[in-house]
Amino acid sequence: MPEPLLTALGVEAGYRSKQILFGVDFTISRGEVVALLGANGSGKSTALNTVSGFVRPSAGSIRFDGEEIAGSPPHRIFRRGIIQVSQARDLFPDMSVEDNLRLGAWVRGAEIEADLDAVCTSFPRLGERRRQPVRLMSGGEQQMVAIGRALMGRPKLLLLDEPSGGLAPVFVGEIAAIMTALKGRGITMLIIEQNIKLALTVADRFLILRDGKVAQGHDVRTGAATEEDIVRSIYL
Amino acid sequence: MILSQLVISGVATGMLYALIALSMTVGYRATTVVNFGHGDIVMMGAYAMLFLAVGVGMPFPLALALAASGLFLFGFLMQRGLMAPIIAGPHLSLAIMALAVGYALRGVARIEWGNDILLLPRPYAQNAFLLGPVVITMDDLVITGSVLLLLLLLFVVFNVTRIGKVIQAVFQTQRGAQLVGINVPAFHCIMWGAGTTLGTAGGVLLALIVPLTPDMGVWTLVRGFAAMTLGGFGSLHGAVIGGVLLGLMEKLLGFYVSTVFIDISGYLITILVLLIRPQGLFGQHATLRV
Ligand SMILES: Nc1ncnc2c1ncn2[C@@H]1O[C@H](COP(=O)(O)OP(=O)(O)O)[C@@H](O)[C@H]1O
Ligand SMILES: [Mg+2]
Repeated sequence: MPEPLLTALGVEAGYRSKQILFGVDFTISRGEVVALLGANGSGKSTALNTVSGFVRPSAGSIRFDGEEIAGSPPHRIFRRGIIQVSQARDLFPDMSVEDNLRLGAWVRGAEIEADLDAVCTSFPRLGERRRQPVRLMSGGEQQMVAIGRALMGRPKLLLLDEPSGGLAPVFVGEIAAIMTALKGRGITMLIIEQNIKLALTVADRFLILRDGKVAQGHDVRTGAATEEDIVRSIYL
Repeated sequence: MILSQLVISGVATGMLYALIALSMTVGYRATTVVNFGHGDIVMMGAYAMLFLAVGVGMPFPLALALAASGLFLFGFLMQRGLMAPIIAGPHLSLAIMALAVGYALRGVARIEWGNDILLLPRPYAQNAFLLGPVVITMDDLVITGSVLLLLLLLFVVFNVTRIGKVIQAVFQTQRGAQLVGINVPAFHCIMWGAGTTLGTAGGVLLALIVPLTPDMGVWTLVRGFAAMTLGGFGSLHGAVIGGVLLGLMEKLLGFYVSTVFIDISGYLITILVLLIRPQGLFGQHATLRV
């Protein structure tokens, strides 16, 4: 069996005031889509930020593509191919859609035009609004810019933090379609998703974060877990 | 006639303030930290120039290039070695650190140059031209021209080049910049160095028209701060316009009301703007994080 793309072992992390992760273990294989579920405040974003380098782990190991990345700064981890769409999106508000997308490929610096066209084709809404400042766009459109910007960096592992969070129902459907399309292209993803139905449609496998550890993992395809089972293990 | 004369010299002085305010704004926008030692860095830039041009006897352009590079390195290393390690801490610690660096520089200048009053010899003849009834000095022209050139250069870098887009991106959101793989701590060091380099340019121009003293940093900081506050803290064009307005105000109030205003306009503007319109002319945020 080949080495997984990402292996987290005994990861502990948190903030000045309190520890949030108490020994998190999980793996992600190439091409796999994994959903990270958990109650509000259970530390899902913290876990994602630890993988992308925004939060420094105090213990444990994170191996990616054969190299240890735990403790590396975000720009190094980005260059290794882990690209994050954060919960707040963190777009460049006063810049146009196109400039936001271009900046996503700034580090790579090559073949930007081709990727830009590809993103604008996959997201026609963005193609139509290339010159519009993103601060004037709706939440759903901004989320598309955020995903498009991440794709411009050609991720080996795409981290998505609640991509459907706070969006109008019509956009939730669009985002789900986008994630399914990305999966179809073979992009490896780790997705945090409050919408369990949506998570189960897209993901191959899910993990549940509880009390600072990954409490449970199931293959979605076996149909071993129903939605109620999952909700129960998250909250009860 | 007197009015147009006052306006001309007010604008020339104001351009100098604009450059100093702009140099502070560049560092502030990059790091969200106000460099309270910036006045002393401007002073150091002027002394470095004096040392190289007069002490060592280098030609003016070479001395300028060396002083600017030296002060860039100083700003870069100050950010890297002193500010970056505490950047996650309270803003007050950062403000005090910058202040401490400023005091240290002032101390060095006092030991090295004492209370001598030194003048940087002009690299051009001190002519004056008559434009109708108005006298325009070579100093006015050199200062205004140099600052306009630097503004043009900055404008092109910010708005036309690829690196300008990255600078704007980090100014808009640091976290967003990190999400696209930009090394933000390194960016802080470079921009802090760019700020001290621009400050050095201001110090050199200042040294052409006023004698150098180790304490000129206070004078400089107050003007730069007032121009920034008036223009709107953190706004680049606001800093420029604020500087020009401050220069005009000093000259006009100084002539028509009382010469006292030449010295107190900076304080007065800072106090009035903070009370009446804290966001200044072009600022978006009313709050100032020190
Ligand atoms: N920057 C921060 N500083 C201090 N505490 C934080 C910070 N970010 C999150 N937390 C705390 O860490 C815990 C986990 O937060 P988070 O990882 O965002 O949870 P989730 O994404 O699962 O909702 C929460 O109690 C939250 O208040
Ligand atoms: Mg979260």
